Amino acid sequence: MALPLELMFVIDLLALFGIFAIISLSLNLEFGYAGIPNFGKLLAVAGGAFFIGAVPGRILAYLFGVINGLDYVKDNARIMTALAKILASNPLLSVVLLVLSLILAAVVGALLGFIASYPAIRLREDYLAITLLAMAEILRTIGYNYEGLIGGTLGIAVPDPFRWVGGELRYPLATAVIMIVTVIIFLYVERLSKSPIGRVLRAMRDDEVSAEAFGKDVVKLRMKTLMVGSAIAAVGGALYAFLAGSVTALGYNRVTHTFWPWVMVIIGGTANNIGVMLGAALFVTMRKLIIFYKSLLQPFLPFDVVWLEYLFLGLVLIIVLIYRPEGIIPEKPSRTLPPKRLQEIMKRVES
Amino acid sequence: MIPPLLWDAVVFSCLLTMLSTGLTLTYMTTKVPNFAHGTFATIGAYITLTIVSLFKLTPYLSIIPSFFIGGLIALALYFLVLKPLLARGASYLVLMIATIAYDMILFSGINIYADYLNRAFKVRTRLFILKSYDLRLFGQPGLAIVAPIAAGVMVLSLYLLLNKTRFGIGMRAAIENPSLAGVVGINVNLMYAFSWFVSGALAGVAGSFIPLWLMSNPDMGARLIVSIFAASIVGGLTSIYGAFIGGILTGMAEILGTGYLSLTLGTWVAPYRPIIPLAILVVTLMLAPQGLASLNWGALFRRVSARGSAA
Repeated sequence: MALPLELMFVIDLLALFGIFAIISLSLNLEFGYAGIPNFGKLLAVAGGAFFIGAVPGRILAYLFGVINGLDYVKDNARIMTALAKILASNPLLSVVLLVLSLILAAVVGALLGFIASYPAIRLREDYLAITLLAMAEILRTIGYNYEGLIGGTLGIAVPDPFRWVGGELRYPLATAVIMIVTVIIFLYVERLSKSPIGRVLRAMRDDEVSAEAFGKDVVKLRMKTLMVGSAIAAVGGALYAFLAGSVTALGYNRVTHTFWPWVMVIIGGTANNIGVMLGAALFVTMRKLIIFYKSLLQPFLPFDVVWLEYLFLGLVLIIVLIYRPEGIIPEKPSRTLPPKRLQEIMKRVES
Repeated sequence: MIPPLLWDAVVFSCLLTMLSTGLTLTYMTTKVPNFAHGTFATIGAYITLTIVSLFKLTPYLSIIPSFFIGGLIALALYFLVLKPLLARGASYLVLMIATIAYDMILFSGINIYADYLNRAFKVRTRLFILKSYDLRLFGQPGLAIVAPIAAGVMVLSLYLLLNKTRFGIGMRAAIENPSLAGVVGINVNLMYAFSWFVSGALAGVAGSFIPLWLMSNPDMGARLIVSIFAASIVGGLTSIYGAFIGGILTGMAEILGTGYLSLTLGTWVAPYRPIIPLAILVVTLMLAPQGLASLNWGALFRRVSARGSAA
C-alpha cells in the first residue's frame, strides 16, 4: 500500500510543525510569560536529541545482549539491525522505549537548563542570555568532537520505536505520536499560563522589583521556568531524533533551533500560545514552500537559495519587532474566573 | 626566540581587545548587548579576502575599507533597527533580539557574497586562510607586529579622544547621564551614533586581520561572539579599559590554555577550545559579576599581604 504524494506532503508538514510548535511553546513559556531571553534554545533541543542518540540504544543493546563486545558507535549499523529486529516484533517494548525515552529526555533537558542557567540566574537577563548562548555552543562543540557520544560529525542511528507498524505506516505513526505530544504540551503550557503560576511569571516579567516586593522569589521562579522550558524543548528534540531515525551533530545549530523558534514566537504572538502555534504553522508551511520552489529559483541565482531565506527571516523579524511587536495574535488578559461568573459579578456590581 | 604559541596568544588577544572594546563601548552608550558584533568582524575578513584575491593587493590595505564598511554597517544597525525600536520604548530584551535578527541578515549577506565570489572568480571562500600573503617584518609574520600596534593605537586614541577632547568629554557625559548631557547642549544622539560607528569600525579592522592568522569561515562570528562577550564581561562592560584588559586576559587564557592542555593531555583537547572563554565567563559571573573593574583591589591586596605577614 503506497500513500499518495499529497498525503505524504501533509504528514511531513504536520510532523515538522509539531516539533517546532513544541520548541516554540517552550520558548514562549520562557520568553513570552517569564521574560527570560533564552538564546540557547539549541542547548535543550540538542540535549534531548543527543540523549536519544546516546542512551536508549545502548541500554537496549546491553539488555538484549546485542552488544557482544561490539563498539556502540563504530559498529552502530550492526547493532541497529539487530535491535530493529527485536523492536519490530515487539510493539509493547517499542511503546515502553518511546515513553521512557521521552520522559528521560525531559529530565536531561531540565538538568541542562539548570546547569546552563546557574551561573547567571541571579544577574540581569542579558548576562543570562549570553551564558545560555555560550552553553549551547559548548554542547554543540562536544557533539561534533566527542565521537563516543553520538558519533561526532558522522552521526548515529537511533532505535526505531515505530518500526512494528511496518513500512509505509511508520512515518504517519511517528507523526501521530508527535501530534499527540504537541497537543498534550499545548494544553499543559496553556493551563500553566492561566494558572496562578502563569500570572506570577507575567508579574515578574513586567516588573521584577514589585514581584519581589510581593514576596515572590524571582530567582527560583526563573530557574523553574527555564527547567520546565528546557524539559519541553528536550522532548521536542527527542521526538525529532526518533522521527529522523538518526542524530547528527551537524543537524543541530543556532539558526534552526534557536533563531527559528524566536521568529515563530515573535511573529505568532509573544505570550499567546495559540499565536505561537500559528507562528510555527506559518513558518513551517513557508519553509516547505520555499524548499518546494527552490529548484525553480536556483538556476537564476549565483548563490545558494538558503541564504535568501535567512535574509528574509531576519528582515521579517525586524519589521515585526518595529511595526507589530505584539505579533499576529496579541497577548490576552487571563481570566481568573469563568466568563459566566464574571458576568454574574458584573450584574451584581451594576445593580 | 619567542615560541609560536606565544605569538598566537599575543595576536589573538590583541584582536579580541579590539572586539571587546567596541562591544563595551556600545553597551555603555546605548545599553544594547550586540549579538551581531562577531559578524561585523567576519565582514572585515571577507574584505581582506577580496583585496587579496581579487585586486592582488597587500592584505593590510583592507584596514581602510574594513574600518569604514564595518562602521557603516554598525551605524545602519543603530539607525535602521535600534533607533526606531528605542523610539517605541522597546525593552532591551527586544533590542537584543533585534541584534540577533540583524546578525542573521549579515550572516546571509556574507554567505551570498562568499558563494558569488566562489562561483564568479573561483576563489576559495570557505575555510580559507591567507597566512601566506602576510608580510615579513623583522623576521616575524607581519601581523605579530601589526596587531599589537593596532590594539595600542586603538586604546591610545580612545584615551586621547575621551579625555583630551571636547567631543570625548561630551561623550562621557552622554554615557553617564544622557538627559543631563542633553540639557547642557550635548548632542546625545550624535554621541551614540559615533559610538556605534567606532564599535563597528574597530570590529571591521580586527576582522580584516583574522584571515592572516586563523582559518576563516562565514560562521566564525558565532564562535567569536562567545569570546568577545567573555572578554567584555571580565572587563565589566562599564569601562573601555576594562574591556581592553579583559580582552588580553581572555585571549591569553584561551590560546595558552588550549596550547598547554594539548601538550599535556594530547591534541584531542584542541577542538574544545571554546570551553575556555565559557569557563572564564562562568567564573567571572559567579565571583565578580561586575567584572574585574568592580573588585576592590586595594582591600584584596591588603588582606592578602596581612595574611602573608601573619603567617
